[in-house]
Amino acid sequence: MADTYLLADAEPLLARARAGDQTALEELYRAFETPVYNLARRFCRTAEDAEDVLQETFFEVCRSLKHYRGEGSLWGWIRTIAASKALMRLRRNRYRETEALEDDLHVGPRADQHLRMDLEAAFERLPPLSRAVVWLHDVEGYTHEEIAGMMGKTVSFSKSQLARAHTRLRRWLGEETAG
Amino acid sequence: MTHLGMEQLLQLREPGLEPGGAAAREHVEACPQCRAELDRLHQRVARLRALPALRPGHNRWPAVRARLAAHARRRLLRFASVGGLGLAASIALLLMVRDLAHPASVAGSELSSAIARSHELERTLDSFKSDQRVTDGWTDRMAGELEDRIALVDRQLEMAQLMDPESSETALLRLWRERVGLLDALVDVHLTRASRIGL
Repeated sequence: MADTYLLADAEPLLARARAGDQTALEELYRAFETPVYNLARRFCRTAEDAEDVLQETFFEVCRSLKHYRGEGSLWGWIRTIAASKALMRLRRNRYRETEALEDDLHVGPRADQHLRMDLEAAFERLPPLSRAVVWLHDVEGYTHEEIAGMMGKTVSFSKSQLARAHTRLRRWLGEETAG
Repeated sequence: MTHLGMEQLLQLREPGLEPGGAAAREHVEACPQCRAELDRLHQRVARLRALPALRPGHNRWPAVRARLAAHARRRLLRFASVGGLGLAASIALLLMVRDLAHPASVAGSELSSAIARSHELERTLDSFKSDQRVTDGWTDRMAGELEDRIALVDRQLEMAQLMDPESSETALLRLWRERVGLLDALVDVHLTRASRIGL
């Protein structure tokens, strides 16, 4: 989404940014601020965490710009950095340790059976790692192999997280059918 | 009839066919319930993709810029460390020359201690390698402000040496002490950050 905005001016802007031009770096930040934050916010529990990820991502982007050779889209490159920083934040916050507890809280069948939510609220309710897998796979289009690589997990882990997440979403959205 | 599970339905959305994929596809074509389930899955993913973009509530660019500037200063300091040692050496030489002409002063020995302490704190800061670690907005702001002030003191020290070689020991001592105080505070900031994020 950000690429289409930036595509026409990307090369001259990148050249200026690589030379350390502050205006160009800020322009780059402004162009990708929202998609990076959106991705981070879908992973993180709080807006503050997501803003920290935004900050970490652009520090890394500005610092590593000289390594970006234009192979693949600029957004693809920035997005990979953002996803990696967001996953690092999840690990730092030790979400995994609380996931088992959250699973119990979130999938209590009786509580959920008659509860209909909108998709955004249901997605928000998923455990952090499940949210990250769903977002990376279904929205950003990463493969299970890529997600497994980013998370340091197996492909089966990514696939099972996705399946469990969709099972929960279907239930919480009241989409289950009899039989 | 056994209907398809979520993993099998998701597999049907992947490119390529895994073992058992052909049978699952045949089943979906023949089973209205699983076809409806697959449609709902497609719709759910389409709705996820259509969720409105969330926007940050705060402008984080100033913090990014400050951190980049601090990073650049650190690199410059590392690069210029030989030059920094040269500056310290020239001050030491100046003190020695003065000592030959005048009896050793208290300020002279205090100045040597301050310079040594300053180098020691620089080494401590290097050991933090803060640019490799996760920081937060508070640390960035505080560290940025302190590094700006240290850079200012460094400029004053350089100017004192270049423009006024006869700078008094007291004036130099004041600047080096200020530098040590700021470095001390910077070390504190990094220690606080480390304790906040449990490093």
